Amino acid sequence: MIVDRIVVEGATKRYAAVTVFDGLELAVRERETLCILGPSGCGKTTLLRAMHGLVPLDGGRVSIDGSKVTAPRRNVAMVFQHFGLFPWKRVGDNVAYGVELAGLPRTVVQERVARYIELVGLGGFERHYPHQLSGGMQQRAGLARALATEPDILLMDEPFGSLDAQTREILQDELLRIYQRDPRTMVFITHSIEEAISLGDRILVMTSRPGRVRELIGVDIPRPRTVESVIAHPRFLELRDHCWRLLREQQVIA
Amino acid sequence: MTFHEVGVEVEQARVVVPTRSGWRRLRPGDWAVRIGTIALLLGVWELFGPSLNKLILRPPSDIVRAFFELLGNGELQEALGQSLRELVGGFAIALVLGLVLGIASGRWRFVYNATDPLVSALYSVPSVALVPLIAVAFKSFGDPPRIATVALFAIFPILINAQQGVRNVDRQLLEVARSFNTSERRLWTDVIVPSATPYVLAGVRLAIGRGLIGMIVAEFFIGLVGLGYLIISYENVFRIDRMFVPVIVVATMGILLMGFVQWVEGRVAPWLKRDQ
Repeated sequence: MIVDRIVVEGATKRYAAVTVFDGLELAVRERETLCILGPSGCGKTTLLRAMHGLVPLDGGRVSIDGSKVTAPRRNVAMVFQHFGLFPWKRVGDNVAYGVELAGLPRTVVQERVARYIELVGLGGFERHYPHQLSGGMQQRAGLARALATEPDILLMDEPFGSLDAQTREILQDELLRIYQRDPRTMVFITHSIEEAISLGDRILVMTSRPGRVRELIGVDIPRPRTVESVIAHPRFLELRDHCWRLLREQQVIA
Repeated sequence: MTFHEVGVEVEQARVVVPTRSGWRRLRPGDWAVRIGTIALLLGVWELFGPSLNKLILRPPSDIVRAFFELLGNGELQEALGQSLRELVGGFAIALVLGLVLGIASGRWRFVYNATDPLVSALYSVPSVALVPLIAVAFKSFGDPPRIATVALFAIFPILINAQQGVRNVDRQLLEVARSFNTSERRLWTDVIVPSATPYVLAGVRLAIGRGLIGMIVAEFFIGLVGLGYLIISYENVFRIDRMFVPVIVVATMGILLMGFVQWVEGRVAPWLKRDQ
């Protein structure tokens, strides 16, 4: 049975005269990765923040597991495009941040921090400050911080958007592996078609302002995946061309 | 196979060693230039000063002799003790009051509106002009008005920087904190205080210079004591060699206190080392 975890109904957001999105409808299923793909300025980041209760909506509602979202919940964690690491905290303390705030005992915090730092491949860097790490490693720490709270739902706000192509692909592979080991519900914002196809079970293509759902595409490429295996898959090119066409329509309007 | 076995090695090779703006860290060669410049200046002064104006440009060797004279008869220690008492008292008040008002006005609109006009007014008026008023207000020529003067001179950089530090907290980090369900108390300890710390320390550095000025000015205007008294009294009798001694002591205090704040900064804000 398909269970919807996050349901967005009639979501509307305006900033002064600008309508960011209007009457948006979507549902995120249990343990799926939904990639939201859209041109810049289509409100995909605002939508993600609304799902987390960080941004209030002007109309409609977001519910998680049937209840309306008004503030961030403990079982939902977010990974930010800007990494959002505290420059004054060492990597270990940054990763511990979310778990500490969840009020878990110190021993559990330490165990989680050690485990998730190891999981994202940052073992040995616990005592480094963020500025001593490369961008890719900083985002590994950002990912570990979110994962360490052991959330049911992960919200990813273009997490690899500011990384170089190679680092990006490495981290996409890591994310696929982490998913394979322990699948969780994930919403992944991106403007990269390749990234959306590699990671997503479904891709939601948005229109530019006001943002609306242009099309919901199922990615029928089997897991376990790696970025390489996805690109080599015969469906990849068709999906990519299809997404391209949808996005190009938007570019013309924009 | 564990997750981090793939590709991580490639990335780890790029760990950034903070070499950026490394010129600000002093190297042995830098010290040679710093000391050399001062030595050159003193040498020129020693050799050519007296021939230009025998009365005013007393050579450094005379000042050194005067230093030991004032040390020998105990005048310098007594004046320094007096001045330090004012400086420490005034600076402590400026630090506490400046931090409290600065943080409160940076965080709460009400406090900002209540204090900002007064702060702007007092900061714009040359503090020297207020010193006689302070003496009158305290109806005394004792330590309290002098301490108040030091506090008045030193408080504004601390207050204004603390306020700016609190207001300029990175909005992205505030959002991160909200997204992880922070409490108000943890918001302060995790985000606001650490991000305001560099601003506050910069304010304290500025305040040291102003506090020393306040100390000397207070001693000129209120009761004539301490190092300020030494300067005035030896200037009046044209003992310029002795007059220079308290001046150099004040300069030395400035250098030492600035160094102390820098040391504290390295202690409480080690993540800032990248900029030094």
